[in-house]
Amino acid sequence: MELSRGIMSAPLEQPKLWPATAPSLGRRLPFGAFSPPQPLSNVREHRRCISRALRPRQEWVEGWVRSNDTLVRGLPIIVGGASLVAVLLNRAVSGIAAVADASSSQSRADILTLALSVTDILAGLVWLSIRPKSISPVVPRGVECKRVGPDVPSSALHELLWTWDSLTTATCCKSLVVVYGGNCILQIGVAVGSPEDGNALPVDTQKFIQGSLYKSAMESKKQSYLANLALYPGRSELPFLPANTQALILQPIGDKGIAIVGGDTIRGFTSIDQAWIAMIADKLDATLSKSYNS
Amino acid sequence: MPLLGRAPLLHHSRPLHPATTACFLSRSASAAKPHRRAPPSSRSRVRASNSDPPQQQVNLSVLRFTLGIPGLDESYLPRWIGLGFGALVVLNHLLSPSPTLAQLRSEALGLCLAAFSATLPFLGRFLEGADAASRVPLPEGSRQVFVMSENLSAAQKEDMAWASYVLLRNTNTTSVLIAIGDVLCVRGYWDPPANTSTYAMVEWFKSQMQQVGLVDLRDALYFPNSSDPQLVKILPDGVLSVLVQPVLKSDLANGETKTEGVILLASNANYAYNDKDRVWIRTLANKFQTS
Repeated sequence: MELSRGIMSAPLEQPKLWPATAPSLGRRLPFGAFSPPQPLSNVREHRRCISRALRPRQEWVEGWVRSNDTLVRGLPIIVGGASLVAVLLNRAVSGIAAVADASSSQSRADILTLALSVTDILAGLVWLSIRPKSISPVVPRGVECKRVGPDVPSSALHELLWTWDSLTTATCCKSLVVVYGGNCILQIGVAVGSPEDGNALPVDTQKFIQGSLYKSAMESKKQSYLANLALYPGRSELPFLPANTQALILQPIGDKGIAIVGGDTIRGFTSIDQAWIAMIADKLDATLSKSYNS
Repeated sequence: MPLLGRAPLLHHSRPLHPATTACFLSRSASAAKPHRRAPPSSRSRVRASNSDPPQQQVNLSVLRFTLGIPGLDESYLPRWIGLGFGALVVLNHLLSPSPTLAQLRSEALGLCLAAFSATLPFLGRFLEGADAASRVPLPEGSRQVFVMSENLSAAQKEDMAWASYVLLRNTNTTSVLIAIGDVLCVRGYWDPPANTSTYAMVEWFKSQMQQVGLVDLRDALYFPNSSDPQLVKILPDGVLSVLVQPVLKSDLANGETKTEGVILLASNANYAYNDKDRVWIRTLANKFQTS
């Protein structure tokens, strides 16, 4: 159900309403997860709206699957392999000639069972192949800081702090630097400690703006995701980030700013995170451009 | 069965990776889950250039086996094969003149395997990295709606418009309703009475919400596979999963939490919101907390 997205260009006084028609329906559904709601408090009985009929069974299954991940992935292979052997044994033990002769009903039943066991084995192999690697997070080395640039309007600050809260809650982000209009308006999270006084190293905005990372990000106007920062030589342009930052997202904020999001896990930002960060940057751009223009 | 390698492209971002080896070795689903489903005919594309790192561009891909038929969900294949072959086993049994003991054993094993195969998609759904979607097409009755209460400041309007847009875009939501205090924002596919003015529609939604009575909600409610009978009245047809996220405000002075509003999300796919989605939706709800 594709819907055409109408671009609404609004005059400056009007708020930005984002495309007037709803966007085309979202991404392909990933695996389903299930979590039971906590019991409500203070809800009058005749107004409760919970249907609990299906919950206990599915919760048990999901918990068991999650905790025995390798076993579940191997289960179809085990079952398929065991039944393969069982069918062949059955044929051998019953004294049937070892010829796959489809004209006898015994052979037909055997062939169908073999096909089913092969299906199970293949399904198990597919499950094993799509297992994500688990990578452990690396604690970033540095000092905590929270620096707000001069003259940041309070509405913008509220939005920026909300951005920081949501990034720390939802992603593996541990450091955030927002540069807008040539100034560093926010440096929050873990940063490298400066050798003189042990506080966080301030961001040298001018030097950063002249660097290649900033330039290429602003030229492309798209988010850049450096999934494994250690492999990337441009790392030297970000001296203020902890040396062992594992992943990095450079998100342009409109035309005038950029958000630098540092994470503590290699490939720690999923595509969902990337999509949300891009949309948050849009919103930040609207807020910041309004605050700095008015 | 021809098996094609399908390589979904990453959407909206350009991962910079100096590695020049083919990237279908990197299987970690966390990095390469596509934002949008790529057309089935695309092959894996790995372009590695020798230019400076800032210009290097490599498309990470995850190879999945697929038959290449659009609209066919391969993760349900074991179920269909199980049911089909199980039926054939039964047919064979009925058609055979005098089944021997060995044949009966074989058929029993076949039926057990068929039952096991039929449950595989259900188990696989809970594994990480699995791909499962069961969308039903939206019925004809619902239509696109985007209304907001009138008495909102420009900043609030922008907040609500952006929040509803993000929810529709980044999650599997088809209908979103944000109700904070007295103001309302409704976007997506809904089924309100036709031919009403914006104001009347807002009032209609308000009255429906009051009837449903989601007061004092403390934690998010998630119905992944069915909807509550009361919520069904307000939601359009064809909705399979519903998530109700309260907007909480914790009063640090006296340590109690108040519910300031609610965000209601509905989707026409079941199991539409996984853990990560729900965490993001919760952070979005925090945006509407009044400080």
